[in-house]
Amino acid sequence: MSEDVTKLGFKCGVEIHQQLLTKKKLFCRCPTFKFSKHHDAEVLRHMRPTLSEMGDYDGCALMEFKTKKEIVYLLNKESVCTYELDDTPPFPINQNAIDIVIEIALMLGCSIVDEMHIARKQYLDGSIPTGFQRTGIVGINGKLPFKGREIGIRQISIEEESCREVTDEQHNIRFRTDRLGIPLIEVVTEPDLTTPEEAAEVVRRIGRLMRATGKVKTGIGSVRQDVNVSIEGSTRVEIKGVPRYQLIPDLSRTEALRHRALLDIKDELKRRKITKSSLRTFEEDLTDFMRATEDPVLKKAVEKGWYIRGIKLEGCGGILTRNTQPGKTFASEIAGRVRVIACLDQIPNLYHTDIYPEYAGSHIDYKKIRHHLQMNDGDVGVIVWGPKDDTITAAKEIRLRIEDACDGVPGETRQHRHGGLSDFERILPGADRMYPDTDHPPVAITGDRVKKIAGHLPPKPWEIEDELISMGMTKEGAQKFALTPRRDLVLQLVAKGIDINLAEHALMNLGTHLRRQGVPIDNISNSRYLELFDEYKKDVFHREAFKPILKTLAENPSETLGDVLDGLNLKPVHDDDITAYAHSLLDEGLSSTKLLARVASHFRGRVPGKHVASLLGDLTLR
Amino acid sequence: MSDEYKGYREPCLGILKKYGVKVWSEVEIETPKGMFEGLILPRSSTEDEFHVVIKMPTGYNTGIHADNITHIKETGFREGKYGIPEKEFPFDKKKPNVILLGTGGTIASRLDYTTGAVVPAFSPGELYGAVPELADICNLTTKKLFGVFSENMGPEEYKTLAKEIGTQIEAGTGGVVIGHGTDTMHHTAAILSFMVQGSPVPIVLVGSQRSSDRPSSDAARNLIHATYTAAHSNIAEVMVCMFGPTSDDYGLLHMGTRVRKMHSSYRSTFRTIGETPIAMVWPDRIVKLKEHKKRRRDKTVTIVPAYEDKVFLLYYYPGMKPDVVDAIIDNGYKGILIAGTGLGHVNAGLNKPLGRAIEKGMHVAMTVQTLWGYTHMNVYDTGRYLLELGIMPCENMIPETAYMKMCWVLGQTDDQEKVKEMMLKPIANEITEREPHNGYLIYQGGIPEVEEFLSTYKK
Repeated sequence: MSEDVTKLGFKCGVEIHQQLLTKKKLFCRCPTFKFSKHHDAEVLRHMRPTLSEMGDYDGCALMEFKTKKEIVYLLNKESVCTYELDDTPPFPINQNAIDIVIEIALMLGCSIVDEMHIARKQYLDGSIPTGFQRTGIVGINGKLPFKGREIGIRQISIEEESCREVTDEQHNIRFRTDRLGIPLIEVVTEPDLTTPEEAAEVVRRIGRLMRATGKVKTGIGSVRQDVNVSIEGSTRVEIKGVPRYQLIPDLSRTEALRHRALLDIKDELKRRKITKSSLRTFEEDLTDFMRATEDPVLKKAVEKGWYIRGIKLEGCGGILTRNTQPGKTFASEIAGRVRVIACLDQIPNLYHTDIYPEYAGSHIDYKKIRHHLQMNDGDVGVIVWGPKDDTITAAKEIRLRIEDACDGVPGETRQHRHGGLSDFERILPGADRMYPDTDHPPVAITGDRVKKIAGHLPPKPWEIEDELISMGMTKEGAQKFALTPRRDLVLQLVAKGIDINLAEHALMNLGTHLRRQGVPIDNISNSRYLELFDEYKKDVFHREAFKPILKTLAENPSETLGDVLDGLNLKPVHDDDITAYAHSLLDEGLSSTKLLARVASHFRGRVPGKHVASLLGDLTLR
Repeated sequence: MSDEYKGYREPCLGILKKYGVKVWSEVEIETPKGMFEGLILPRSSTEDEFHVVIKMPTGYNTGIHADNITHIKETGFREGKYGIPEKEFPFDKKKPNVILLGTGGTIASRLDYTTGAVVPAFSPGELYGAVPELADICNLTTKKLFGVFSENMGPEEYKTLAKEIGTQIEAGTGGVVIGHGTDTMHHTAAILSFMVQGSPVPIVLVGSQRSSDRPSSDAARNLIHATYTAAHSNIAEVMVCMFGPTSDDYGLLHMGTRVRKMHSSYRSTFRTIGETPIAMVWPDRIVKLKEHKKRRRDKTVTIVPAYEDKVFLLYYYPGMKPDVVDAIIDNGYKGILIAGTGLGHVNAGLNKPLGRAIEKGMHVAMTVQTLWGYTHMNVYDTGRYLLELGIMPCENMIPETAYMKMCWVLGQTDDQEKVKEMMLKPIANEITEREPHNGYLIYQGGIPEVEEFLSTYKK
């Protein structure tokens, strides 16, 4: 699918959360690299929202509170201390982590703040035991050069990682705490991205830039992206936790189209003169009337002692069947709310009368629903089932979602799903849910500190790539090299007159090959490589010999290069030596068919097989 | 300094004045790094004088160094309103009446999201807004007596508190809850156990280990447990009500004379020493663990707000010199409460000055630093000498509790015989005759069976 969403006024901004490579966590001294499925203890908590001065709760917080989750945290003593469980105030912040964030912020052209203030950003989903994440702005007003223009970097902040979710069923959620507290950098762009492909490309670019420092974690789960999408007339929606940038184009495109579908629904509701205040609904407990149902799902609910509740949405007939995403209708939007807020998370969690499911006796149930909800043509009825309180919450949420539909696109945080789709996760939190963390004093960032870091910035990956490509390296090689610690080595070798493709071969191709064989190739220091290539230039050995030499060097880091070369018997070989050896083998009675193989093998690493073949030529045929 | 520049000193103060802006001004600040837009916030006195703090539109705060400010333009003004809209606490004549006395500390709070300030919620209406569950438990009225950090509590506060409790009981309240900082909650619990005797209703001290503005705070749950206890329980004693485990599960009701804060920050920090707690409490029920004084219908109580503050709590260490005791005597102290080592010991060099103190008419008593266990000063010569000098052995009174008791007793009499009689006669379980086997339970982490227990039980 590649519909052009720029015509819709597509606007996109991204947020990248990247784990930093530090030994210790951000606000305590626990290690950042101990992950385990084993736990030593469990702690149970609940989250309560904090009232604002206006007498109400932040909408997101209230939503989380409604779900009334029992939150259990699993602790492993290797990876957490009393800080993670919110039983000890924060220890002084990890200054090394701040340095890394400053470095990346400078590479993205940001101004660094004079004094960083730690703020509390409230989250009530339980992903952080304190109920808030500690976060602070380090850099602002940056820019990323991209295709001849500049993508604005709104802010760069430092923050704590959250827990890993283990299970989330109905009112019980379990988290693992090993990841909690690892330092993260958050890079937020301005909504300057004009196409879905651009969004993915920019994310990739920023990711590579961060990896160029060598100071961020790599591997699965070390980075997550959030994508913010809106179109003309819609509201910003955030899709959180996208693990790979390759998923972004489909995701953001589908989201833009979902917005268009919702705006169409808004227009339709307006046409039908349905507004928040004029919307009429009617609810009824249908448990007794539906007791005789033959639908296996409803039957099971009734047997469990659950309730079935119905809500009539007057005048909304046909709305629920409208497509909002590929293969999904507006009914799925409602189902998402019911799943998250009412905790009715066994799918399917609702039926509706616009397209009532077929099962034995379904027409009877359908009639009953219409009757007891006092439905007329043009109305739609929705039924949910579950514990009594949850069904009441669900009915309320269904009504609220229709009210939101009158306004168009509700501000939401969504989760990405397979196939470029997304689903409701929570109401979009307001910027107001942040307040200062009084447990930790502000951190002054001096001009000298910034200057020092600015003086040692690594070059940007795309600049190195361009340089390497202009020197003749393959594009693929250039992209790989730009991010490795060997990039300076390549430049040094070229400066010495070594052919760049040979350097690529020896460092990249051979390196990968040997590494896969378990050879500790990364043991070899850059200076050893330089020494080695010096010898190569002197014709001490042939190109074929790189492989055995590198293997030996890697496995014997304390031996001198001279000893290694001697040990491998790599002195230059003359053609006469080759033919003499061939003759000696023939004299010993070796058959000519085996001659080539034996000679080539004898001189392997010193003489290419092809050369041996051409030299021996006739001898092997005799 | 004018309130308009809350907390700002030179050079920032001068800069704000120069550009005609103050706290709550909405501004654009020019710096070599670019323009910063935001709301000027107050500066804390513990933060340096070189930075101006603003709240940016994103909600984050940041500090700008005075040297970097080249220009400030005011674009508006946003007064931080602290007028909190009140909701009426619902009154139900079928529910018991409970009075909540405030001494300081924030049992509940609201957030001013505009400025990021945490505003205490204390009136019944505010508490109802923050913890609506309270309305299901009782009819709550509140009275703020004073607002101090608990380490700043002292004799005047104790007396005021005790007298107020008396007044409320005589006016017919069904139960008293006291909001208190946790640092010295056990000190206050102890002194109130002596100053307020024969209460017909529960008196429950409560606080929070984690600030009440945070979603994970123990504040609301503690408050619910304490209010439930005050309203519905049958326990007519002075108690501390705080978390049992660190998990959100049950609270514990501890005897006011035997409770102590045992960890600097854990939610589960309060423990009963040398005994078991009185009861476990949940939002809707109480499970009794031992016998207690029962609730009565009358409105009588005995208030004895006596306190002598020239009493010294001497925490002994090896090598302590006699001049320390001499200094205490020479500075006019009336009593010395020693926390001695082991069974109640100090080095022999202190015998002479301690003897001198007693001859002068001072009162000296001994408790154990180990917190658990009894003084047994007959076992070693060291202890026997001290007894001969006239030092009172406090049995299994916790040092802080014994200190409070001595202050209370010396506030009533100076007669050595009378003092000894009062110190050693238990009023509220500060001395118990028998220590049960489960009064001292400190298990070591790392031991396999202990780890096994922890891994299967919600902490």
